[in-house]
Amino acid sequence: MNSSASLERGYRRLLAFYPRAFRRENEEEILAVLLATAHRDQRRPGVAISADLIRSGLLMRLRPTVPHSARTVRAAVTLIYLAALAELAAVITIVATSTAVLAYVHRTAPADSHLAALSLTKDEIAGPIGIVLLLWLAWAVGRRHDWARVVFIIFWGISTLSIIAALSEGAPVAAPADFATGMLVWLLQLAAVVLIFAKQSAPYYRHGSEPAERLTA
Amino acid sequence: MQEATFLILTSLAESSQHGYGIINDVAEISGGRVRLRAGTLYTALDRLRMDGLVEVDREEVVEGRLRRYYQLTPSGTKLLAAEAARLHANATAAMRRLNPLGVVT
Repeated sequence: MNSSASLERGYRRLLAFYPRAFRRENEEEILAVLLATAHRDQRRPGVAISADLIRSGLLMRLRPTVPHSARTVRAAVTLIYLAALAELAAVITIVATSTAVLAYVHRTAPADSHLAALSLTKDEIAGPIGIVLLLWLAWAVGRRHDWARVVFIIFWGISTLSIIAALSEGAPVAAPADFATGMLVWLLQLAAVVLIFAKQSAPYYRHGSEPAERLTA
Repeated sequence: MQEATFLILTSLAESSQHGYGIINDVAEISGGRVRLRAGTLYTALDRLRMDGLVEVDREEVVEGRLRRYYQLTPSGTKLLAAEAARLHANATAAMRRLNPLGVVT
């Protein structure tokens, strides 16, 4: 295999770090630039170029795809990601404080011990599922899927019911740290709901998959 | 606005350019200080296109490879002009204050 083919293969491997949709549209063009800027007889991508392609590709996968003009949607997507982070903190808090919470319930209301253990197990299972759902919804909300707004408000409704149930079970007293992180998740979701259903967000979803330029024109 | 973004927009101010041309032009504009890598350039171009500041002017195939030319949109031109004016005003103020100290020749 000659050096050019080997180099091209190396670059293509690195370009795999970019999202597929971006690669479909830009891979050949970027490849042309990479090959044009390569040294003569270069066989493998350099360290700096490789690091740049990996960093840029991952950055593109993670960053919101919402244009600056759709400020409310951008803010909502950020808040949903923050809610996922807060949910992770909530799961860690639940696991870390479960022994203390169960001991407290056993001491103050022994009859409810079994129920408290069940409730904690339910939260430990639901937490990671919630994180995955929040990440998925952040992705979908940012890609102008109108259905994602509806799913998100349903998700927030379930969170609201969960908070009401926790309140009725006396969670603020028995498990204050768990309840506080749960409230933080709920508040972040509430703020995101307000933003994605704000009047300013409507055009972003009305335009479906049209190019972003139209929105800023 | 980040310096790389400013330089990319500046390189497109006069006429449309392809990726390799932008890399060379940015190096020239910055006196060789900023050397854009392809990954950084195309991530920035993707963001600028999404924000409606840059658009594809035309495409051609050279030696079997796709070459895409980019140009500023009216919004991009407006933003670059505003940013250049802001930087110019800041630089002028800095020079005015440094001159009496004899720091600037």
